[in-house]
Amino acid sequence: MILSLLQILIFPGFLFLFILALSAEYIDRKLYARMQTRVGPPWFQPFADFIKLLSKELIIPELADRFIFKILPLVACAAAATAFLFIPVYNPQSLFTFKGNIVAVVYILTIPTLTYFLGGWYSRSLYSLIGSMRVLTQLFSYEVPLLMAVLAPGVLASSWTFSAVINFYGANGFLFLVNIIAFAVAIIAVQGKLEKVPFDIPEAETEIVAGTFTEYTGPLYAYFKLAMNIQAISVAALLAAVFMPFGYNLGFFLGIIIFLLKILFIIAVLTVVRTIFARIRMDQMVRFCWKYLTPMALLQILINIIIKAAVTQ
Amino acid sequence: MIKSVQKLINWARLKSPWIIHFNTGACNACDIEIVAAITPTYDLERFGVQLKGTPRHADVLLCSGPVTRQIKDRLVRIYEQLPEPKFVIAVGTCACSGGVFDGCYNMLSGIDEAIPVSAYIPGCPASPDAIIDGLTKLLKHFEESEAKKLTKAGC
Repeated sequence: MILSLLQILIFPGFLFLFILALSAEYIDRKLYARMQTRVGPPWFQPFADFIKLLSKELIIPELADRFIFKILPLVACAAAATAFLFIPVYNPQSLFTFKGNIVAVVYILTIPTLTYFLGGWYSRSLYSLIGSMRVLTQLFSYEVPLLMAVLAPGVLASSWTFSAVINFYGANGFLFLVNIIAFAVAIIAVQGKLEKVPFDIPEAETEIVAGTFTEYTGPLYAYFKLAMNIQAISVAALLAAVFMPFGYNLGFFLGIIIFLLKILFIIAVLTVVRTIFARIRMDQMVRFCWKYLTPMALLQILINIIIKAAVTQ
Repeated sequence: MIKSVQKLINWARLKSPWIIHFNTGACNACDIEIVAAITPTYDLERFGVQLKGTPRHADVLLCSGPVTRQIKDRLVRIYEQLPEPKFVIAVGTCACSGGVFDGCYNMLSGIDEAIPVSAYIPGCPASPDAIIDGLTKLLKHFEESEAKKLTKAGC
């Protein structure tokens, strides 16, 4: 009982995740700054932002539903952090495990996006309304290729459980390199999930002020920002477990170091993508996702099915 | 305990001033300079400054231009939308005193006739260096006054 409470609250639960999420934001912003040949923020920047936002005045719009308006950021935080508990960190077994937990994690990671939509909807502001409609439109375009890409490695391992996938690829050397197409598809789709630059249409500053978060002030906005960072970490851990299934049976410390390196790699790739692209339009995004990303993910599943048939014969 | 929490909050407020830019009837020269100040060349993010699109997220309101009578209500409204604690910086000579527009029938002379102002940055237009200098000076002044308040409270 106490052990599982410690695991949920400290490691690999909330505290670990909190520090990791804010450090990831720092790394993202610093890399972004360095790639624009400037100095960038100091290391404590995300922590200072978080504390400052917590200490600011809380304003709730007159027309907004007070209860839902206040509860949504916490729901977003909780959902993003819950997803992390089902993802393996340093050993193939995650903290809480059951059959088919890859599917469960992908669906839990959809809940924060839905809270962004509801937050914008209940703010009763025009800008946040437009933003929330864009969140939903975007959700329907990136979610399908993301789900197919994340499930593709499981097709080859004939299981959608993390431990089975990791053990299968661990026993087969460099077979995980087969999934490189799905990895690329997932990286691009995740950019939409995290609302980073090529797909930051829902919170496009230059068009709709701040999108869904327009009316959120102080502490509530801090929790939304934290939820976004935790979501980034959870997604990175998910991709690391599914597409880079190595280094999971090396003990605690080495395992943690390899896990952090993998997260760092994925965050860095996401930052490079964010730096070199500009924002695209909503219709371009939907067309791109359905015309190119989804067929690529289907192609990966087809390749995996063919390899599986060839191996078993 | 309360003192150290207050110190932490002051430190955080000092390290992450988020700005919002509002044109109160300027000729656009100051606006271009403000936009230039947040480009990678001047790199305001070293001080934790981020440009925000909505007043709900911002701490510092950068105003440029003498306040026209038409925009006065909007300025007051934007100011009231900023959550406490907040600062206002008047950028450019027109924003400080009305400049060449002083005495016009359709203008107020300066931001401070509409809303309280924390810092004035003169110049026609105020250069990005001057804007950064003014912002850091405002933060420094804030730090000192808060430290004084803490010692005065005797805790």
